[in-house]
Amino acid sequence: MKKRQISDESLNRIIKYLAIVILGFGIILLAIQFSDFWNWILRAIKSVIIPISLAYFSALIIFPLIKYLEKKGVGPRGFSLGLVFVLTVGLIFAAFYFLTPLIVNEIKNFFIDDYPVIVDYINNDLRNEFLFGADLYDKIIAYVNETNLIADTVDSFVPKLITSLTNMLLPLLTAFALLPILLIFYLNDYEVIAERMRSIIPSKHEKNVAELSSRLNQTVGAYLRGQLILMVVLGSVATIAYKLIGLKYYFFFGFLVGVTNIIPYFGMLIAAVPPIVYTFIATSGPGPLLVLLVNVAMQFIEGNIFQPLIMSHQLSLHPIVIIISILFFGSLFGAIGVIFASPIAASIKVIYRFFTDLKKEKLKNSTTEATSS
Amino acid sequence: MIKINRPRIYSKYEINSIVFYWTMLLLMPIVLVFTYVFDTFTNNSDVRVYLLILVGVTVLITIIGTIFLLIKRDKLKRMVKATYVQEFYYLVIISIFGILGLVVLYKYLGGRPEYIASILVLSLLLFAYVLLNLGRKYFNLNYGRKK
Repeated sequence: MKKRQISDESLNRIIKYLAIVILGFGIILLAIQFSDFWNWILRAIKSVIIPISLAYFSALIIFPLIKYLEKKGVGPRGFSLGLVFVLTVGLIFAAFYFLTPLIVNEIKNFFIDDYPVIVDYINNDLRNEFLFGADLYDKIIAYVNETNLIADTVDSFVPKLITSLTNMLLPLLTAFALLPILLIFYLNDYEVIAERMRSIIPSKHEKNVAELSSRLNQTVGAYLRGQLILMVVLGSVATIAYKLIGLKYYFFFGFLVGVTNIIPYFGMLIAAVPPIVYTFIATSGPGPLLVLLVNVAMQFIEGNIFQPLIMSHQLSLHPIVIIISILFFGSLFGAIGVIFASPIAASIKVIYRFFTDLKKEKLKNSTTEATSS
Repeated sequence: MIKINRPRIYSKYEINSIVFYWTMLLLMPIVLVFTYVFDTFTNNSDVRVYLLILVGVTVLITIIGTIFLLIKRDKLKRMVKATYVQEFYYLVIISIFGILGLVVLYKYLGGRPEYIASILVLSLLLFAYVLLNLGRKYFNLNYGRKK
């Protein structure tokens, strides 16, 4: 049998890849030896990346508005930027000013009116209504009291929660405090920054990078704007629907729907749990089935009408991809990672599509060259 | 002659007209829905006066808008897009608020609460049907089509 010969070109390529792999392992091995140093560097990079990405994503939402104003003759840049900035800050402030007292009031009322009733129910009535009988309920309570289970869990859980909250809150607050300043400078010199970034790139890749960045800005920007509108719309619709069916604390539950909708598909499911649990315990108001029905209807509208409308077919992400990205970016960047998991995943999809398109184009060009020669 | 089955593309004038009159049709329920959430009215006489004022304001805005549309008619007729996704998206959003507003209007006018769910479902189906047809015919969005 004739042995297949490997060409010099293939051999060279194999040796090159092997060298890269070995070098990569070498670098990883070296990095492990200085893990403290790398952790220090990574922490510094993380603290820069979070506010910068936040500013970039916010700019993607705001910049089209500035461009629109400039197209309509509202300029120079400083003026249009100032106008949009004042409008945005005013809108956020107004939302906080009007909605915060309503939501705080509802939380206060819950602790005054319903919380004692719930505690009383758990202590007294739950025993009689327990699904597996009063005997088993007594045994469980005796076991809990004997082993000091609740106190131990609270003792171990609370310090952990406080540590993780402070770890999460500090970068979050820093990022939000820096955001307006970063945003003003970034939006003011948007084109200049883009030009400078482009000048760093080698000229042979300049065209591709420009095309990729324009695709990223367009698609991810549209995605973010759509998602933001969706949050406001679904939050409002939920508030109205909850009030129509007579659910107490409709502002709080509606607000929850709006906020959790930052996570596509799953946000609505997460937001449906508290009102359903509440209706199980509450003595008045609608039943859990009605609340579930409202949430199913909203989920249907979101998944079948809004998501396909705001996201083009190319950008629609599979729910599994969203779960994976939430878990991955959540563990990498904490709360901000969870919030921005889907736009990051969408960006990765755009980059992947760009490279597959590029590959296809190259293949097409090479075949046309081969046929013409 | 071979007939090409190509959908007609409508100009911005037709689309803007649909969007504008649809908004005007639902303006009253949309305003009502927000007054309902923030508990603006406490007694029935207030509501009736407010409804009358709202009808008057809606008619006034419709007249002004119609004049504006007629003035811009030639310019808008020259503007054409392949699909009108953004406009349709807007139409869907205001329709959802409009449907909820219709229920609020029914409640304000003293309707019986046990029929609210039926009215909601019926109006939802009606709006979905109308929007699907509008989307297919005017906005060039075939929503029912499989991917």
